[in-house]
Amino acid sequence: MQNQSEQERELACLIVEALNLEDVKAEEIEPEAPLFGEGLGLDSIDALELALAISQKYAVQMKAEDESLKQAFGTLRDLNAFIQARQA
Amino acid sequence: MNTQNPQPQDRETSANKAQQRGPLSSRLATDLILQRRQNPVSMVQFMASVWALSQTLPNRRFVLNLHRNRHEFLRSFCASIMAGQCTLMPPNRQPQTLDDLEAAYPDSYRTGEEDAVLAAPYQTADADQGQKIPQIPWQQRCVIAFTSGSTGNPSATIKTWQTLVAATQANCAAMLEDWTGPANVLATVPAQHMWGLETSVLMPLFANLAISEANPLYPQDIVSALCDMPEPRMLVSSPLHLRTLMSSALPLPKLARIFTATAPLSQSLAVEFEAYYQAPVLDVFGSSESGIIAVRNTAREELWRLSAPFHMQVVEQKTRVSAAHLAGPVMLADKVELVGTHQFRWLARENDQVNVAGKKTSLADLNRRLLAIEGVRDGLIFMPAESSQRLAAVIVAPGLVAADIRQALLRAVDPVFIPRPIVFVAALPRNETGKLPLKAVQAILTARKAKDERQDQ
Repeated sequence: MQNQSEQERELACLIVEALNLEDVKAEEIEPEAPLFGEGLGLDSIDALELALAISQKYAVQMKAEDESLKQAFGTLRDLNAFIQARQA
Repeated sequence: MNTQNPQPQDRETSANKAQQRGPLSSRLATDLILQRRQNPVSMVQFMASVWALSQTLPNRRFVLNLHRNRHEFLRSFCASIMAGQCTLMPPNRQPQTLDDLEAAYPDSYRTGEEDAVLAAPYQTADADQGQKIPQIPWQQRCVIAFTSGSTGNPSATIKTWQTLVAATQANCAAMLEDWTGPANVLATVPAQHMWGLETSVLMPLFANLAISEANPLYPQDIVSALCDMPEPRMLVSSPLHLRTLMSSALPLPKLARIFTATAPLSQSLAVEFEAYYQAPVLDVFGSSESGIIAVRNTAREELWRLSAPFHMQVVEQKTRVSAAHLAGPVMLADKVELVGTHQFRWLARENDQVNVAGKKTSLADLNRRLLAIEGVRDGLIFMPAESSQRLAAVIVAPGLVAADIRQALLRAVDPVFIPRPIVFVAALPRNETGKLPLKAVQAILTARKAKDERQDQ
């Protein structure tokens, strides 16, 4: 397993907390494993809740050209990079 | 005296009936039917491109239309109907579901899976051809909607062109009421769901509406897509999307009307929605089998108003709906109390049916799939008492971990129905008759939670 950066750990905590992931711990989220589908198993409800939590914490609005969740979220690493780029 | 010698209705033969046809659309050539990023598409442009596309379709009887872009969905839908093809509507888009459907309908093809744009349609479109509205045989099978039945086998509902047109005319009357002018509509629900199909695909073919090509999910995307359309604007959505959009507190453009369906909306939330969106919020009731059957303004009304063509009966506590345009009576998974002939009060859903985020399925079907996973000896998926709207599972499966269960279920089950949490136990608390009291399963979950909390402290 690759190491989470400090920013990634913070985001992982937000994911676990916002989505009430009872059987996942923040430090266990693989930085390069998909968050949706067969990875962490998140779905479209999670996408909406997570988008809301991210907009509140980082003041970044999630956007996607269509419903395709993988594009917008990808992995923990992708999502963190996306947020950092938008914040800068 | 009439010299034209009309045929009396009752002498009509069944052969005549089979040949009767109705138009694909009642819109005028200059009407707008689509809004594409501030580029409106007129009916004549749209039809020219549909005619062109219909000439290029594979020679098959059934089509799986997976386009997420509503413009591509609408164009493919119309072209396939013109080519005499029938659109299959899968209950979800998981790989196994699509594979199973193709196995059951070998004479089928997929379109829109990769979200490819089919061709740049509007430069080369032949305007003369676009003036022609094709006539579709009333008895042509145009849509088959699948729902997960409690027996585990998906049940199929066939919709002929006559059924779809009659339903759409009733929906326009019930939902648009006294609204007669043009309007621009954005839908946040997929066209592959009956709610999305009836509103965002069929209504623009018969009412003065232009539909946005967008299919947004996130609040920011919904707001952008709304802003891309001129007034007056209408929004077709679900309680989940409306609640998230409201929580985002983003500034909204002016809305004329909002339609919501797929999940129950409480009166207090409906009042909040109307205050936030500054527009009437019309709640719509239906099922894949019956289509839309009733509407109400939940902020102000308790009773549902049954749409004109429908009759509702309660027979042995089961709800039966019939209408001349349906192939036969439909049994709903909802318990209701009739008030007069055209109003009803909703009481509850049947126990086997669950609704997560507006998607509906049968617990019996989910459990059948759970027990079919290799290595699962026993188990139950259920809706916990203190429901967070998520299903939970208690499973006996030595050697398996939660990820195995998730992965196996995800092949054919919509992600929103994947249980969370998944708890593994050595044995299920079955009683002496082999039955599984829900209370005992619930207790396992509660005990697990208490243990987790102790560990966290």
